[in-house]
Amino acid sequence: MKQFTKSLVALMLVFVMALGCMSVASAEPKHAKIGVAFYQDTGYAVTATKAYLESLSDALNVEFVYAVLTQTDESANLSTIQNLISANVDGIICTMDLGTNSIIEECEMAGVYLAGYLCDYDTSYTQNYDRVFKSEYFLGTATDGQNPDDTTIGTTMFNSLLEYNARAEKPLTHVSMAIFPVWAFPSQMTGAQQFVEAVEEYNKTAETPITVDPLDEEVDVLMFSPMDTTYFAKHPGIEGIISFAAGTSFVYPVMVQAGVDKDIKLFTTGFEGGEENNFGTKGTQTFQQNMVSAVESVTYPLVLILNKINGVDFPDMPEAAERISTSQFCINSDEDLDVFVHSIYYTGNAADAMFTPDQVLNMTAFGNPDATYAGLRDILAHMTIEDIAK
Amino acid sequence: MSTKTNPAEKQNSFLAFLGKHVYDIAAYAGLAVTLILFLIFGGKRLSYNAQTVLQTSAPTIIIALGAVFVYSMGYMDVSVGQQVGVYAILMIMIINAVGGVLGVILGFLAVLALALLCGAFNGAVAVWLKLPSIVTSLFLMFFFTGAQLLLMESTGTNSISVPTSLLRPANRSAYNLVLVLIIVAVTLAVTYFSRFTKLGKYTRGIGANETATAQSGVNTTKWKVIAYMAFGVCVAIGSYVMLMRTGSAGKGTGTGYAMDIMICLILGGMPLSGGMKSKVSSALVGTLTYVLLTNDLTTMGVDLNMINFVKAAIFIVIILITCRKHGGVLPR
Repeated sequence: MKQFTKSLVALMLVFVMALGCMSVASAEPKHAKIGVAFYQDTGYAVTATKAYLESLSDALNVEFVYAVLTQTDESANLSTIQNLISANVDGIICTMDLGTNSIIEECEMAGVYLAGYLCDYDTSYTQNYDRVFKSEYFLGTATDGQNPDDTTIGTTMFNSLLEYNARAEKPLTHVSMAIFPVWAFPSQMTGAQQFVEAVEEYNKTAETPITVDPLDEEVDVLMFSPMDTTYFAKHPGIEGIISFAAGTSFVYPVMVQAGVDKDIKLFTTGFEGGEENNFGTKGTQTFQQNMVSAVESVTYPLVLILNKINGVDFPDMPEAAERISTSQFCINSDEDLDVFVHSIYYTGNAADAMFTPDQVLNMTAFGNPDATYAGLRDILAHMTIEDIAK
Repeated sequence: MSTKTNPAEKQNSFLAFLGKHVYDIAAYAGLAVTLILFLIFGGKRLSYNAQTVLQTSAPTIIIALGAVFVYSMGYMDVSVGQQVGVYAILMIMIINAVGGVLGVILGFLAVLALALLCGAFNGAVAVWLKLPSIVTSLFLMFFFTGAQLLLMESTGTNSISVPTSLLRPANRSAYNLVLVLIIVAVTLAVTYFSRFTKLGKYTRGIGANETATAQSGVNTTKWKVIAYMAFGVCVAIGSYVMLMRTGSAGKGTGTGYAMDIMICLILGGMPLSGGMKSKVSSALVGTLTYVLLTNDLTTMGVDLNMINFVKAAIFIVIILITCRKHGGVLPR
């Protein structure tokens, strides 16, 4: 009898263990292959995003393949997406809204999910909303900073200018602006208008008013190439440039070439590397503010795609895809820069990311039954430079 | 009385056959290998991949078919990519302005007329000014680059589009069938003109020996212009087929087509110096090999960013194999 009881207990143990194993297996995320189509193949943002994604691969059971899109050729972009689909991806994170109609058609046919990153998908949003945003295979996008409906970048730039003026021996009283074309980044035009309005409001009570040169279509709109050398002749006497466009690549080199980098301060979006040598009180002191989108924003499209692949949705998942604004780090001072150089964006080291793989798993619907879409949005909208130090 | 050949003679004739057809053998072997790899690595998306190959290769096949006439003469046209870009933009503008099927027809006819004009210009100017054809096509390339940028600047956007439902059947199978029919029709037409009319005979003659051809009483100027105009017709059709795929065009549309066409034709066994060994099949075999190769490398798991390097390596190997040994130049 004793022998029988022992056997029974052993059998029950085996059964319980087997059940346990089965439940662990079912909790394991399905293996997924995700294509990531970048706007370029080099740069801090690309390197850091790849490092961040790769750090998540084990915890989320996902492998990544990378490709590069063109900024001008829809047909080439479609071919790139087709190649990714041929490589058996289950989902694609895409950083460009060019040829999206045909791309989404391709994804629908192949049963592959598409989501955006560092892109507001404004062309699709304004011209093909039903075709793209209502497609069950387009899951949403995390924009590069604010999306056009939610722009605060002009106010942020103005606050940075005020912060600089408060500490500077010689505050800036005359500035000009630079933006990318409206068709590419509509939020930058909105931001520029916001900046002008903020300055006008400030000037009503200011002892030393600030002059902002109105946008000059000829030289202030940068066509993704270095600004025209006549910029400084068109804006005589400026002490600062507020560049909503990527100033390190397209404004700073022209400033150096014109020999004005010691005299004119630059406030700009983006961080391409090398700014730290001339930032704040260092070097030529040209850079007085840089704004950088948090690399961790890629969590948004990743989580949405993985949820679909695992067949679990957030209970509060919106019916149509959304575009969400993402956090931007605003580097306003030497102290901010000292913190920023410890971010994954700067180091390219996944250990410096704000979220661990387990935390990201916890944001997914399949990894955490209590996870919500609102929660995901909230987390990604409130990353600040102070969080980097944590 | 029967004639008997000994084994040594048989071997010699076999080697002679190999030597004579080395380009064809290399081209067809390349296609066979890429096709086998395609079937092996296609996996669960084999059907999808086949459709992708068809849709990707269709515009290139059609333009390459037209390019056979130009390459037969030992010439080339580096403006084709920019022409494709401008034609696509123009078609979209006309379709959007006129609307409906009438817009599509008018758009295509306008582009066809422009392509014929450019072909005539390309051929005639090169002859009259005694310039290498590449120089006139370089002029057209810069002209069309400027035109493409100006047209897009006038729209104030990076990309313009028309609903693809206006351009092609919404049903994928029907769309694929249309593509096959267009490819077959253009192939038959080009084959007919190349093999059974003076156009093919004279263009190959010009490529083999222009002086001898001219001294045989052939008006080489006239046939050069006609050859470029025939190419223009295929560029117009190819531009439409490319537009069917995306329904949109922008500043970079068409980029790389000139180089792709050249690579496809060489992969297909076309001698760069033209001449009597020029064949229509080069366009089909070369383009399919090129597109299948990209698909194979993708499905085999080669890093997508490394594919161009692998393709470059394969391309140079084929060039070395088919290179004429004595002169060290490309085959004639």
